[in-house]
Amino acid sequence: MAIMNKKSKISDEIPTSSMADIAFLLLIFFLVTTVFPKDSGLRVVLPEESEEVAVSQRNVLHLQIQPNGVVEVRYGESEDLQQVPASQVESIWRTNVAENPNLIAAVKTHPDAPHSAMISVLDALQLAGAERISLQLLEEI
Amino acid sequence: MALKGGGFERKSKASGDIPSSSLADIAFLLLIFFMVTTVFRAEAARPIEWPTAAATEQIDEKRDSILYLWLERNGDIWINDRAVPMADVAAVVGPRWLESGQRLIISLRADALVPYRYVDLVQEQLKRSGAVYVVFATELERRMTAGRR
Repeated sequence: MAIMNKKSKISDEIPTSSMADIAFLLLIFFLVTTVFPKDSGLRVVLPEESEEVAVSQRNVLHLQIQPNGVVEVRYGESEDLQQVPASQVESIWRTNVAENPNLIAAVKTHPDAPHSAMISVLDALQLAGAERISLQLLEEI
Repeated sequence: MALKGGGFERKSKASGDIPSSSLADIAFLLLIFFMVTTVFRAEAARPIEWPTAAATEQIDEKRDSILYLWLERNGDIWINDRAVPMADVAAVVGPRWLESGQRLIISLRADALVPYRYVDLVQEQLKRSGAVYVVFATELERRMTAGRR
């Protein structure tokens, strides 16, 4: 038996000293590769049901979104429409809100207009810092 | 009487090495802990085209307090992997809104090209259910003029 033991130079044990390295490698690999999908979007708070607030027409900026994405801007009670692309809404809002801080943006979207057209107007308003926004459906007149 | 060599070397039986044999166990414990506690949302994504917006902000809320509402291009609504008729949205969202202590956030994942009439109907349903915190899910639009915010 003593002779046998001396002949065998190779250990029959699995080397465990590198196990920690392997485990930490796996741990760090999974920590790094795990991605949690982040939620992102435009925040709005809907009005409560039956919450009707009477506002003076003087404080309303009407933004009517047509199916082709063109925005018609109407200020208060005036009848004249100004047709602009959605990218100009931001500067229009900034100039108007500087004159009237109580301004409310009434975003009226045509039923056939794509969702993205409304989003681009809402985007422009939020970029301009607007907080008083009302989202409505455009009724045919 | 002075001891040779300080008299310490012989007395010290404890090894100077940190025992490394249990390191593997610790690492595997951590590995398994993180594997078990990581929860992935099981809900399957609906095929929609995301609208883009430059004002997109991150929603830092617990995932439990966000309800995803998918609105497809043809007006179909999916909540938790189930198609929900438009008229039933309020009935589905209402109990969840109360359950969450009136803090539920609705992430409305609407297709960029869905006609707005459906988005408006969804909003009416949400108002009826009481859930007023809505996020229009968008992807961040990267513009060349970024940095003005």
